Amino acid sequence: MTARQDERLLDGPLLPVRCRRCAAEVLVRKASWEQTSIQWNAAARASCVSLGDDPSGTCPALRSAIQEAALTGALRVAG
Amino acid sequence: MIHVTAAESDAVRAIEAEAISSRFARGWHCLGPAGTFKDGKPHTVNAFGQKLVVFTGEDGKTNVLDGYCRHMGGDLSQGTVKGNEIACPFHDWRWGGDGRCKKIPYSRRVPLRARTAAWPTMEQDRLLFVWNDPEGSKPPADVTIPVIEGASRDDWTDWRWTETVVHTNCREVIDNVVDMAHFFYIHNSFPTYFKNVFEGHVATQIMKGKSRPDARREGGGEGPRMLGNSSVASYHGPSFMIDELTYHYEGFDLRSVLINSHYPIDQNSFSLHSGIIVQHSDELPPEAAEATAEKLSSFILAGFEQDIEIWRNKTRIDNPLLCEEDGPVYQLRRWYEQFYVDVADIRPEMTDRFEFEIDTTRPVESWQKEVEENLARREGASA
Repeated sequence: MTARQDERLLDGPLLPVRCRRCAAEVLVRKASWEQTSIQWNAAARASCVSLGDDPSGTCPALRSAIQEAALTGALRVAG
Repeated sequence: MIHVTAAESDAVRAIEAEAISSRFARGWHCLGPAGTFKDGKPHTVNAFGQKLVVFTGEDGKTNVLDGYCRHMGGDLSQGTVKGNEIACPFHDWRWGGDGRCKKIPYSRRVPLRARTAAWPTMEQDRLLFVWNDPEGSKPPADVTIPVIEGASRDDWTDWRWTETVVHTNCREVIDNVVDMAHFFYIHNSFPTYFKNVFEGHVATQIMKGKSRPDARREGGGEGPRMLGNSSVASYHGPSFMIDELTYHYEGFDLRSVLINSHYPIDQNSFSLHSGIIVQHSDELPPEAAEATAEKLSSFILAGFEQDIEIWRNKTRIDNPLLCEEDGPVYQLRRWYEQFYVDVADIRPEMTDRFEFEIDTTRPVESWQKEVEENLARREGASA
């Protein structure tokens, strides 16, 4: 099977966002203020301490960091 | 704003689909309630492109072997359980759960190399699981199916279980993990929140929904009114989904666990299973809980039929064209691919954590309008 790319990323790529609590760096894309994609890697996952209890939650500190990046324009919000 | 160039907008989008891999997913697959296989008879199970025999010996252990006897090719699933072995109907060769020939009653000794394929099995929560691995490795301890809290408790109902053969490749059922919009258009649901998380061998869908007044059957208005539901559904491996599904009624919640599982029969068909248990409560004493479980079970089966009707007519598509309100289909398939490659070839991006939350603003707006139109039309028709 050939790995295929989500073409939506062509319209707006994943961009790095660093969490202020643990310094984990993840890749983020926001197609709108309410939409968020977060791509972790092993290093970021290992440094996050907030994901233990609820595996399907989003780290609250990272969520704030993403919101801030979106507000300052460091993270472009498409749409 | 996304700008579409003239060249892009003029080009016809082609649907692409590669040949389906001849390989079957590595992982635990549920064959159904364990009790089904404990009647002292051999059972035929067509799975992973071959015929298997499932039988329980006198020792109570359920075994899964290749269905064909290595002697002259007899069908072991037409044979007889003798002690802890399955006896071939053709010449009475006896095969143990470990895949070894234990005895040939008319021969002084068993030949060398008298060994057939045996699949590791596991019984948990009164369900039978079989481990498939094209590389032939034993199931790793960290690749497990979690124990289901309500499945062995007295204050929950027993499993209501259904099985359906579906004639398409099983990737179609996996795609539903990320497909929010089909829940509105196919299943008469109304999602208001939708998120996915993929990590390791687990893929999760978190969904909240409200009830659809336009989908309620006429005259079905008795009993408490359902307001909506919250669901956290996770595939643990390639085929077994546990959905912790809570229905919210006026004044109380109804807790249930829904299983959506399958095993591949061959590349173009799979056996689709549903299981449900419901928790008793003050509002839902045991008898009412049993009745509710029965009702939910037929509701889920009806949902499967809605999917199957779509699958029967659709085409396989490797390059779905997505809008921003669709879920992460490509990332889900990237996660799913880990089960189809050798363990040594699993790439980090297949298992690294990925989160995707859909903006439901526009879908909710649009669906609300459609619901109201449906209600108005219905009122107009009955007036």
